[in-house]
Amino acid sequence: MLDAYVALIAPWPLLYLAIGTALGIVIGSIPGLTASMLIALTLPLTFQMDATNAMTLLIGEYVGGISGGLIAATLLRMPGTPASIMTTFDAFPMAQRGEGERALGLAVAASFFGGLVSWGFLAVLSPPLARLALTFGPWEYFTLVLMALVMLASLSQGSLLKGLIGACLGMLFAMPGIDPSIGQLRLTFGFNDMTGGLNLLPVLIGTFAVSQIIKDVLTIDVALPRVDVGRGVKVGLGDVRRHGPNALRSAVIGTWVGLLPGIGANIAAMLAYATARQVSREPEKFGTGHEPGVVAAETANNASIGGALIPLITMGIPGSVTEAILIGALIIHNLQPGPLLFATNPEVAYGVIASYLGANLVMVVFMLASIRWIARLMYLPRPYLVSAILMFCVVGAFALNNRFFDVWVMLAFGAIGYFLERAKVPLGPFVIGFVLAPIAEEQFRAALMSSAGDPFTLFTRPFATVFFFVSMATLSWPFITERLRRRRATSHGADRR
Amino acid sequence: MSPTRRSALRRGLALSLAAALSLAAPLVAGGTASAQEAWPQKPIRVIVPFKPGGRTDVVARLLGKVIEEKGLLPHPLVIVNMDGGGGAIAGRAALDADDGHTVLHWHHQMLIANAMGLIDFGPDAFTSIGFTGGGSPVWAVRADSGYETLADVVDKLKEEPGSLVEAIGIGSIPHFVGALLAKEAGFETRKVQANSGADRLKMIAGGNADIALFAASEYLNAKDVAGGLDAVVFFGPNRIDNIPDVPTAKELGYDVTWANPNWWLAPADMPAEHAAILAEALKTAMEDPSIQEYFAENALDAYWTPGDEAQAESEALLEDLKEIAAEIR
Repeated sequence: MLDAYVALIAPWPLLYLAIGTALGIVIGSIPGLTASMLIALTLPLTFQMDATNAMTLLIGEYVGGISGGLIAATLLRMPGTPASIMTTFDAFPMAQRGEGERALGLAVAASFFGGLVSWGFLAVLSPPLARLALTFGPWEYFTLVLMALVMLASLSQGSLLKGLIGACLGMLFAMPGIDPSIGQLRLTFGFNDMTGGLNLLPVLIGTFAVSQIIKDVLTIDVALPRVDVGRGVKVGLGDVRRHGPNALRSAVIGTWVGLLPGIGANIAAMLAYATARQVSREPEKFGTGHEPGVVAAETANNASIGGALIPLITMGIPGSVTEAILIGALIIHNLQPGPLLFATNPEVAYGVIASYLGANLVMVVFMLASIRWIARLMYLPRPYLVSAILMFCVVGAFALNNRFFDVWVMLAFGAIGYFLERAKVPLGPFVIGFVLAPIAEEQFRAALMSSAGDPFTLFTRPFATVFFFVSMATLSWPFITERLRRRRATSHGADRR
Repeated sequence: MSPTRRSALRRGLALSLAAALSLAAPLVAGGTASAQEAWPQKPIRVIVPFKPGGRTDVVARLLGKVIEEKGLLPHPLVIVNMDGGGGAIAGRAALDADDGHTVLHWHHQMLIANAMGLIDFGPDAFTSIGFTGGGSPVWAVRADSGYETLADVVDKLKEEPGSLVEAIGIGSIPHFVGALLAKEAGFETRKVQANSGADRLKMIAGGNADIALFAASEYLNAKDVAGGLDAVVFFGPNRIDNIPDVPTAKELGYDVTWANPNWWLAPADMPAEHAAILAEALKTAMEDPSIQEYFAENALDAYWTPGDEAQAESEALLEDLKEIAAEIR
């Protein structure tokens, strides 16, 4: 296992790690460009790379991208990536008060701390979890995926109904192609090009990159306000004592939320922020430029990455949207993420864990050293940026299978993604539905095959039973709370009378 | 992926890039009147119906490299990967190409796709150029399953039909090979789908399936992983050195072989003399030590089968597969 860390200290992995993290920070810092977009776009470039190097690059981008978002969130009140929405609440008021350097310093240090804690969980929990997951059969995988879908739909922003609509639409788009259980074509409408179904990469690039480009083009004339970054960052050792407990709690919340399949960094930040406010002695100060608010949000969103990597490498189930792309990267290198990865390709499994640590180290050094200059990159002229990215999108989609059909798919999903967002249907459940539907279907039908068609064998498997009831509880929770609230309201009314 | 295979892949990709560049400058190559009649006039596009890195892809790239290094053809081979749709997309792209310089490198999955009705073309849509070697799979059980020979497995299944779970990719090679053996030996397994080699390994290792088919090289890589695997039968025509102790199905008295070849195909409208030029180059390249070494390392069989024999063999096999498909569907 130590070998993986030693292997990382070689020219190529280090270079990829540095490039990936730096690129991630820069892209993450520019409002309108996100980590998922960057990773989807660089994925085709990794086809020719060694699997470990490819993962090193992509994980660097992931950590950098989530961290880079804090710059615009602090200085402009624009979350550079969705993960830093909560950061705007307190960091921006601080910057307005002239404490920008302090806010940036705290946010960077908190990000690093969150990363370290969740790396600890990742390194310690993954190998035993992989051994446990090896005993998982079709029922366990099916219920796990079910749980992921339900949690994502109910916890993502907006209503449960719209989340479910998004997830179902995503699942629907995963249906065309060859039916995995009978080996026959379905929903191809007679088009030969559809026999392969809709590929993950064009769908992802379309939904995340192209739809964002459409949005950016529509607001291309909006100039960002100029702000002075000052001298960089301000953070000291005294902060460890002052913010230690809050940071530790937020890191654990972040890791836990990340670990739950399907939900990502933005929800981690939201929960940690809410908890910090609840336990605080001065909750009214949150949202007015209160330091603990910045610490909670930034610790948790970075910690969620390490947490989300756990189901990814041990079970092959994406913990967030970005991880769906990482899974795609492993599959392209003929590696099946899952419990056997530690046995068949330990260098990749441990490489992922080691890269995560490395990326956090590079991130903190790079951010502390050059945040002033990165902040200026936010003002790169949009028209050039957007057209260059669109070109990369087309090249990336074409490179996958050398056919133009994928490019049309990508453009179509750009439009679909744009209109879904206009309709307030969240894209997270949509994409995760698309990614998880084939897994759910294959596992469900495999489970029925092995039980000769009896669905109730699910309840003979303890883990599957637990996962099943957690999903059902998550799904019905909003209705139950609604009922309770109404009943309480009526009984209150009765008391008064 | 072994280091040699990986570096070969990378070299191959560099090569195809170089070839793509030379494609952009056709004036540099040829130009005289005599060269106009020669074939190929430009790099030959080889469509592989899989993503990069698998056996079909690597064999094509290695042969392409030898052909270029030894100057067996005046232009290089350019490998183009088109994954998806069980090969329907790649096959259609090769048939639709009208540049006279496009061929397809596939294997007997085409016959299965045809038998299952996934593709609207069969072997007769192509001119068969030949087989450049091939490989056979094994049937494996968990090392601690208590079954040591195929006879143990067959006895158990005859005693209690459907008592063992076989992990298969529905409508793909593992499904058909298992079905061929089951039909010949007269037993019945319970089938669970697991569509990739990694999935099948996971099912076996986790105790959720009892039997699965693996390529010989897959088996060699995985046999000591997580509980271990034991091969009970090899589906090749003869035993191979990499797994000398595993008997063939034929030795055990079952007339079942599955020797999946690397099959080179040209659209039927390609002139026979052009196909012959490529066949000659491939045949010579097969004798190269680097090719022989790759085949030996990966538990594959290095041979050359001329186009007409390859065609006859495949069409005969297609009839058998259609019978099986009728039962499966």
